[in-house]
Amino acid sequence: MNQKEKPQQKKDVIIVGTGIAGSLIAKLLTDHVFDTEKGKMIHRSEMNDSKTYKELSILMYEAGLEAGIELDSATSMTTYNDYIRKFYMEEAKVPNSPYPNLKQAPSPNVLDMEPIIPPFPDKKGYLVQFGPMPFASDAIRVGGGTTLHWLGTTPRMLPNDFRLKEKYGRAMDWPIDYETLKPYYEMAEFEIGVSGNVSAQEYPIQENMEEYYGKDYVFPMDEIPQSYMDQQIINGLAGTSVQLNFKNIPLTMVPSPQGRNSTPNIAYGKAKLIKANSSESGYKLSLNNIENEDYKALGAVWNPYMGERCEGNASCVPICPVQAKYNALKTLKKALYKVNKNENLQRNPHIQIQAQSVVYRLSVDQANQEKISKVHIRRYTSREKTDFVEEEIDTTNSVVILAANAFENPKILLNSKYTVIENGQKVEKTVANRSDQVGRNLMDHMVMLTWGLFPEPVYSYRGPGSTTNISSFRDGDFRSEFSAWISPLDNWGWSWPAFSPGSDLSEFLGQGLFGEELKEALTYRLSRQVLFHFEIEQLPNPNNRVTINDQYLDALGIPRPVINYELNEYEMRAMEQAKLASDQMFARLNIEDFTKYNATDNNTFVYNNVRYSYNGAGHIVGTHRMGDTPDDSVTNSYCKSWDHPNLYIVGAGNMTTLGTSNPTLTLSAFTIRSVESILKDLETILK
Amino acid sequence: MIIQKIFNVDDYYYDVFMAISESLTGFSVNELQSTGLAETYYTHILHQIESVTFTEFLNISKDILENSTTQNQLNNAISSDILANPATQDIANSIITLWYLGTWEGAYINDLSYKEGLVWNLMQAHPPGAKQPGFKSWGVKPVNSNS
Repeated sequence: MNQKEKPQQKKDVIIVGTGIAGSLIAKLLTDHVFDTEKGKMIHRSEMNDSKTYKELSILMYEAGLEAGIELDSATSMTTYNDYIRKFYMEEAKVPNSPYPNLKQAPSPNVLDMEPIIPPFPDKKGYLVQFGPMPFASDAIRVGGGTTLHWLGTTPRMLPNDFRLKEKYGRAMDWPIDYETLKPYYEMAEFEIGVSGNVSAQEYPIQENMEEYYGKDYVFPMDEIPQSYMDQQIINGLAGTSVQLNFKNIPLTMVPSPQGRNSTPNIAYGKAKLIKANSSESGYKLSLNNIENEDYKALGAVWNPYMGERCEGNASCVPICPVQAKYNALKTLKKALYKVNKNENLQRNPHIQIQAQSVVYRLSVDQANQEKISKVHIRRYTSREKTDFVEEEIDTTNSVVILAANAFENPKILLNSKYTVIENGQKVEKTVANRSDQVGRNLMDHMVMLTWGLFPEPVYSYRGPGSTTNISSFRDGDFRSEFSAWISPLDNWGWSWPAFSPGSDLSEFLGQGLFGEELKEALTYRLSRQVLFHFEIEQLPNPNNRVTINDQYLDALGIPRPVINYELNEYEMRAMEQAKLASDQMFARLNIEDFTKYNATDNNTFVYNNVRYSYNGAGHIVGTHRMGDTPDDSVTNSYCKSWDHPNLYIVGAGNMTTLGTSNPTLTLSAFTIRSVESILKDLETILK
Repeated sequence: MIIQKIFNVDDYYYDVFMAISESLTGFSVNELQSTGLAETYYTHILHQIESVTFTEFLNISKDILENSTTQNQLNNAISSDILANPATQDIANSIITLWYLGTWEGAYINDLSYKEGLVWNLMQAHPPGAKQPGFKSWGVKPVNSNS
């Protein structure tokens, strides 16, 4: 039977989710303490013995298993090695394949997606998909969140991405501009540990690189080498351009900045810390040098000297065996362990993480309906059983931070109803949803793949998933007509679109090949495979949305996300244009085209009599967007709910528009910025 | 052709299995042995298909190997006597797949069978997540010569 437990002791901060957003906030908050004398939050490095300080008490909830958030060296290594062993043994090595698939906290999985024949939804797996198109991306509910299987590509957004409405008359502008976010991008690049070469970046923007990145700015680590395959493609395309319907666009092949360890850049200098300074108007975070400490790459959670440099495992998605690729557990560990006076790491007693705890509802205070008064949790006791303990925590004097992913945050909010009396009438409301935008504007990059055989061996299947991108189509006047896109070159052959090398082997076996002939055929095919990749921007569409429905519950009786999703002509036209670009690049490089889109593909459509198919990019964003006014957005630019002053909703869901950048760096930047507002609220609570 | 006596396994059919695997995959018995999985694979197949069927396959293989004096003859015999018959063709393709990918009917035998798939040697790469070649290795032409 399901039991009820007595309410937990009050905490200053409740964080739901241990992914990158939750972990960044936990780390930055635990780096600060409340100086009772000054009545201000100060950074730990500014503490002295003679004064009194109050430590913030923080409780985090994680839906995944207990083992996933135990970060002492021995346990974290054991858990992570279990992930790797599972990855080895899974036949379909999809993003979620290394991680536990939990019935109590299920995750969307690409293997569950199938074409939808309206009006019948696809109910296989976790998401309930009403279509007309299935939403094609997955996420994972595990300690550290989806950063465990992200690729790690970290381009910043471009200035015009924040002002699509102003520039191109499309979608909605962000409440912040690029310039405002710039210092937080630097903090995010420090925390993630970005490798890259600022001077090699080249974008179709008006700003020069000095304006865009700031004078003398460098990434923490040197560029990750571009693959041999990249170089062959660059050699063939450099200095050329592509003719599209609108105009001629020169091709720029840019080494991608990545959250993956290489060699620390000497010019980056010292190790840094992110520190809040208080002023009359509030708090401002800044990145400061630690004078006696050089910048070092941070390796695995269980051993910082492992994975200090990428060693070319070529399995970034779904798992980096040495954690040379950044994941949020690294930041989470910095929240859980602090350096003591003897320079040893010590468990921070003021922060707790409670795993196997699925937050499913918030309630508001009866007396003050602006205030979130409780967080409701179902804590399951074992991986095997679906029995759970019903828990709640009083949050009347706490800051509540929803930091689950862009499916889960809106799901929790939509499941949180309350009644108010307006003009003598009872009115039912949904938490944080005055704008009716909670769950709406679900976006992803639609990934159109094109693949073929290069005339000479390029020896793909080696190195990080992608080391180069074509940035030419990331911005331009055409955005008033159709989406911008970024084109990463992928290093792993046709594994994604064609399940190579297994499919090549079975194809040749089907032709009766064996022995030397088979070897030759495979060698020829596999060493020449190239994959081009077009990540097409999707605009916010209120009808692309996450809802809930009491018809569809998970094993703990919690509503599953119900998805409605489709493309519009703006995006379809971009795919047509991207295919035109691909055809021209293939022709120039003498690539033999093997691209094939079938009517049976999961996500496919016919536009101007041509069939196109796409995949998801795992860039699930937009379901609780930030904005300038409570009428058309869920939070302000600090991710603070317009409706409830003690509620923050953070993560990719805050993105107003998507642009052509992988979203993690940007969400990290504005999540870091949100801490300024959280510190101010905590100051008021603690005073 | 010679069926090499493999001394550490006391089973004549095992030698036949290795010899026919060599011809089917194009990798030498030595290369196959160096995966460290030869015995594991042999025993795995014994447990997966009826022993009569497997023995029949190996008897056909043995005849072909003993009666072929040149590689050409052997290849022709494999095409006509093994691959032209659906029953033996299935087994032959499964054996090739086992050596190349480490899977039998879609499932890996163990961690090692994933890591030792010979297909990765052919393309001068490595199984993702294992046998990592080191920082910057992907920026140059492959330097290994496994194949």
